[in-house]
Amino acid sequence: MAVPDEDDTSKRIPSPVSMKSLAAPVKSAVDKYQLLPEFLKVRGLVKQHLDSFNYFINCEIKKIIHAKDNERIVSDINPKIYLKFLDIYVESPSVEEDHIREPLIPQRCRLSDTTYAAPVKVDIEYTRGNPIQTEIKKGHVIANMPIMLRSRRCVLYGMDDDELARLGECPLDPGGYFIVKGTEKVLMIQEQLSKNRIIIDTDKKGRVSASVTSSTHERKSKTVIVMEKERIYLQLNQFTKLIPIMVIMKAMGMESDQEVVQMVGRDPRYSGLLLPSIQECASERIYTQYQALEFLEKKVVKSRFTNQKVHQGDFYPKCIYVGVMLRRMLEAILNADTIDDKDYVGNKRLELSGQLISLLFEDLFKTMSSAAKKSIDEALTKASRSSSMDISLHLKKDWITHGLERAISTGNWDVKRFKMNRKGMTQVVSRLSFIAALGHMTRIQPQFEKSRKVSGPRALQPSQWGMLCPCDTPEGEACGLVKNLALMTHVTTDEEESPLITLCYSLGVEDMSLLSAEELHSVNSYLVMFNGLILGKHRLPQRFANGMRKLRRAGKIGEFVSVFVNEKQRCVYLASDGGRVCRPLVIADKGVSRIKEHHMKELRDGARVFDDFLREGLIEYLDVNEENNALIALYEGEADSKTTHIEIEPFTILGVCAGLIPYPHHNQSPRNTYQLCRMDTLLYLLVYPQRPLLTTKSIELVGYDKLGAGQNATVAVMSYSGYDIEDAIVMNKSSLDRGFGRCIVMKKVSAVKQAYDRIIMPKMSSGKGGLDSHMQILDTDGIASPGEIVRPLDILINKQSATVSRDQLISHKVLPDSAYKFTPVKHKGTEGETTVVDRVALFTDKDQNMVIKFMIRHTRRPEVGDKFSSRHGQKGVCGTIVQQEDFPFSERGICPDLIMNPHGFPSRMTIGKMIELLGGKAGVSCGRFHYGSAFGEPSGHADRVEVIRYHRVSSPSVYIHGTYLLPKAKTYGLRLGEMERDCLIAYGASMLIFERLMISSDPFKAQVCRKCGLLGYYHHSLKTGFCSMCKSGENVSTMKLPYACKLLFQELQAMNIVPRLQLTEH
Amino acid sequence: MEGISYQRFPKVKIREMKDDYLKFELRETDASMANALRRVMLAEVPTLAIDLVEIEVNSTVLNDEFIAHRLGLIPLTSDRAMSMRFSRDCDACDGDGQCEFCSVEFTLNVRCTSDHTLDVTSTDLRSSDPTICCPVDVAARATAALDPNSAYDPSEQRGIIIVKLRRGQELRLRAIARKGIGKDHAKWSPAATVTFMYEPDIHINEDLMETLTLEEKRSWVESSPTKVFDIDPNTQQVVVVDPEAYTYDDEVIKKAEAMGKPGLVDINAKEDSFIFTVESTGAIKASQLVINAIEILRQKLDAVRLSLDTEECDEQFGELGAHLRGSAV
Repeated sequence: MAVPDEDDTSKRIPSPVSMKSLAAPVKSAVDKYQLLPEFLKVRGLVKQHLDSFNYFINCEIKKIIHAKDNERIVSDINPKIYLKFLDIYVESPSVEEDHIREPLIPQRCRLSDTTYAAPVKVDIEYTRGNPIQTEIKKGHVIANMPIMLRSRRCVLYGMDDDELARLGECPLDPGGYFIVKGTEKVLMIQEQLSKNRIIIDTDKKGRVSASVTSSTHERKSKTVIVMEKERIYLQLNQFTKLIPIMVIMKAMGMESDQEVVQMVGRDPRYSGLLLPSIQECASERIYTQYQALEFLEKKVVKSRFTNQKVHQGDFYPKCIYVGVMLRRMLEAILNADTIDDKDYVGNKRLELSGQLISLLFEDLFKTMSSAAKKSIDEALTKASRSSSMDISLHLKKDWITHGLERAISTGNWDVKRFKMNRKGMTQVVSRLSFIAALGHMTRIQPQFEKSRKVSGPRALQPSQWGMLCPCDTPEGEACGLVKNLALMTHVTTDEEESPLITLCYSLGVEDMSLLSAEELHSVNSYLVMFNGLILGKHRLPQRFANGMRKLRRAGKIGEFVSVFVNEKQRCVYLASDGGRVCRPLVIADKGVSRIKEHHMKELRDGARVFDDFLREGLIEYLDVNEENNALIALYEGEADSKTTHIEIEPFTILGVCAGLIPYPHHNQSPRNTYQLCRMDTLLYLLVYPQRPLLTTKSIELVGYDKLGAGQNATVAVMSYSGYDIEDAIVMNKSSLDRGFGRCIVMKKVSAVKQAYDRIIMPKMSSGKGGLDSHMQILDTDGIASPGEIVRPLDILINKQSATVSRDQLISHKVLPDSAYKFTPVKHKGTEGETTVVDRVALFTDKDQNMVIKFMIRHTRRPEVGDKFSSRHGQKGVCGTIVQQEDFPFSERGICPDLIMNPHGFPSRMTIGKMIELLGGKAGVSCGRFHYGSAFGEPSGHADRVEVIRYHRVSSPSVYIHGTYLLPKAKTYGLRLGEMERDCLIAYGASMLIFERLMISSDPFKAQVCRKCGLLGYYHHSLKTGFCSMCKSGENVSTMKLPYACKLLFQELQAMNIVPRLQLTEH
Repeated sequence: MEGISYQRFPKVKIREMKDDYLKFELRETDASMANALRRVMLAEVPTLAIDLVEIEVNSTVLNDEFIAHRLGLIPLTSDRAMSMRFSRDCDACDGDGQCEFCSVEFTLNVRCTSDHTLDVTSTDLRSSDPTICCPVDVAARATAALDPNSAYDPSEQRGIIIVKLRRGQELRLRAIARKGIGKDHAKWSPAATVTFMYEPDIHINEDLMETLTLEEKRSWVESSPTKVFDIDPNTQQVVVVDPEAYTYDDEVIKKAEAMGKPGLVDINAKEDSFIFTVESTGAIKASQLVINAIEILRQKLDAVRLSLDTEECDEQFGELGAHLRGSAV
């Protein structure tokens, strides 16, 4: 490893961790690594969640109440009585106790099983009294909304480490989750197909279809145009049947067939495809708009579709939109390449917590409004109205509060209004280790069910590059569907559209409504689409795109607005909608990076922050679509004159979890994936956590080196004893004595003291002045005290419950002892474990009952059977524990902590682990930490490839091996695997093995020569077996053996190894 | 076979001796003896270590078991350990380990009152009888104070940290140290490192070596990761400077083969000569550790010695019987 010279200070990066400078590679180009910590400082690791939630609280919620349908509640009985929402705002979390509001802190919610929620207040204008007068009321509470930790409204927002520690929060905790009824819940990021975009696809029946899912605040609908039997139809929920497309066009006022053809494009091939549809329409005798509408009337109700806005019944924009849809569809029919890829990340939108909560809130808000309306009407119909009418009292806050709480705590999003019924939207934050919790926040859940046996969505998409982690996905059924965000990915939130639209027009976009159908697809212009909306066309698309980009880089428009010129579709796509994934890249002019050494120096000196880079147009965010217009160089040195962008750091294509693996690029790729799933090992609270000797840059960025969850072990890779087969490891007892692998497990026990319970002092028993043996740990208040050692069946709470009925209890009389039954809370533990009461917490729950919570601590040292894992997906159980004196030792007296079986390496191909072992040893020997970041060191040891080359046997054998099926599961294709085979061998069920692996799988009749022991063949003309080695058929016997076995022999022969069979009579 | 004695008389030569470090040669015996000695030193030489902790007050960040575990691992001076009793076979007490024959009591009472972080170290452990048993660093300080010539610098020694306290935190406990052996728990092991290596026997094939150029010789010499060989500046011959630096890594042999000169050097391990390195934790002196180990090994052998009245079984045991009774007859 190159160690920078001491005097070469300019290359060294001063940083809080001094070791950063050690491994700073000597790069000729500008070292942009420092941008990363800076980026994460402003962004945090869960910014996507926070941003989305903040957006909801600040903007979205206001939009909801100001939406046309929501703003007013008007009584049906007396329309003069109304209520109007003027404003809505979310306060910071607080709790009301005895009519006093006091601020709420998250730790308290966790301890007392309450919800971390803030009041939502509205300003309302309403009518009251008789005669009716208008009043304005401010700060009326309509709900208690769960608040995301570290969001704008959270009390923790903007606090420094000391303040956080004072509130009992871990400064490294990223936030981004909710606390509902004491449990921490993350709202998983949901992956969806884009809304408001034309998607060309083939459906189940193989028909080409163009579909648009429109979604606005007012309504959501799906429009599909589909080709069936050469005719084109439109499918819409409002209609019962498919409607011929031409009828629709006529209904919208486009009576001339010629105009329709023009709108699709003049290409004769298009008109050819349209012809059958036109004929059909004519055969239905529909020629005018009126006739078309009449036809539609029969097919049921109103016709409103696609997201193109209609102004005063002007359907022209809609016609154009349909025209564009048709054109794209016909193009797809002619040329299958233009069918959209549903798995393309650019066609995906990620729904974050803000959007999800907003949906739910909107639904609940409407429910609340209609409930209020109903109760108002009811009150009005009552003849005798004694008191004056106060509408505001009819707004019940429980609707929203309970609705939100229930949805988040169960994870069931059941929003009938938006036809949404999804389960498992929230998950409990996994706190097994710090990194597991972090990984949880970046996880993306797919929309469709996991059982679908399709490979398409599971495959790694090239467009995921840099946006979604290529390694981090679970094994098994959700493989490839559940994804994780990469380190620098940002998910956008909605942005105001109208200024952008105005801007587009002023940049020369010709308004669509002024264009004739003929002009629409003229050769020299591109269509301009904004968030799926056709704005018009532009004659100089490249110039227009450059102009927009310049404005974005100058900060005049939002940094997340994307501009994408699609040459194929002759469109310029502009997007400012939420849920797109994007990432920052360094801008290069003709291949020259805009970031120069002096910029980085200013950054290091603290004179510059990440946002300055953005503001000055050195860095910009690109989304997946716009990346298609960019040529991105991985390193500065590789840039040429066509390069438009340069990556900040190559390893940012990985996610948070994958960043922990040292040298991942040396491993067989599934191993990295396995490792990420492996975060579940017995790491609860390690007694002696250590910093890994071989860190990666991501580790530092995440703060994992401050919150370690592992230990550095001295490892011997050797075979030792028989207790290390199948990845088992042998551990050194002395190392365990000294604290290796020791961990503390915390368990929570809680109990409620009901109103009819009492907790009493332990009774002194007569003998020896002592207590009952199970009561020894009780304090004088009848509750076990902290620090006491608990044995199984020990009493934690000396509780008694009344056996008498409720009425007697209420009479406040002191009941006699006989009225109580002994109902203690006992400790359930296994014999032989030393457990200790760590903490005792008392609080009252929402029913005003006392709740007692115990934290029970148990220190565990590794035992035989415990599972351990390295950072390369190489797990293993502890096979045996051996005394130190029986362990191997080096001539310097070093004794390993554990022994690993070398057989774990060849098949796993985890070269990265070997390098980690070497790097770790080098680190110990010279006494410092080393980097093992992905793509960290220069690659290309071409001369070494020769040495580590391995052989791979041709694939048929693999194929055939995989066909041993379990009897019952034959139809399900369950495999009698290697492990199962081992079990059968160990059990001695030889006939079963014979049956499974031979008779039921692939029996083969082989001719074997008794003389030379080689396989022969059946000679058809001689009608006998023949040995080609001995050139005779005399000594050839026929025997049965698995085909795989025969294949193995032949493959061995091909490698100049001669397997000879010796046959004996049986 | 009769009359031939296979008895051997091992020889020990001490090379280097410090309080906590000993390097010696063991010759004229075989690997079983050397290994037995190593094993006994690691696992069976008794020392004292804290075994029972009664915590009165613990408001530190570490929990009780954690502190108890850390206390256990502090090495204590155990010069008297050989003559002490295991608390399980102590007659003088009922096994709670509070008598002078089998245990030593410690107390620790620290409270942090300042704003600075206070380190609780082994120096805060108060022994009931410091002459018998105290933490090794405390003992080292005491001896250094008596000896003005020692190189010991007390300011450099901060003691072994047990836990760190912040303002208002307190740790008060009573601990009992007992005698034990490393086999039961590593805290009783007096040895930090015990290792031996076979003495290498290196023969350079001078004739073949002479066929090499100086450049080749140099690259061959440098192929060894440790400095075993060197080139004589005068004669330009390859000489063995430090045979014991050889780690049996075979690098030089592989290098010779790669150079096309197999057999350039012949390295064998001497089967009957061992170089021992013993490092002590400080609980007992390294030299004492070896002596104690030999003593324990003898005691173990004594345990299998047959009593003199088993001569009638000679039919069964034959020569072995006589041997096990001792060859004094």
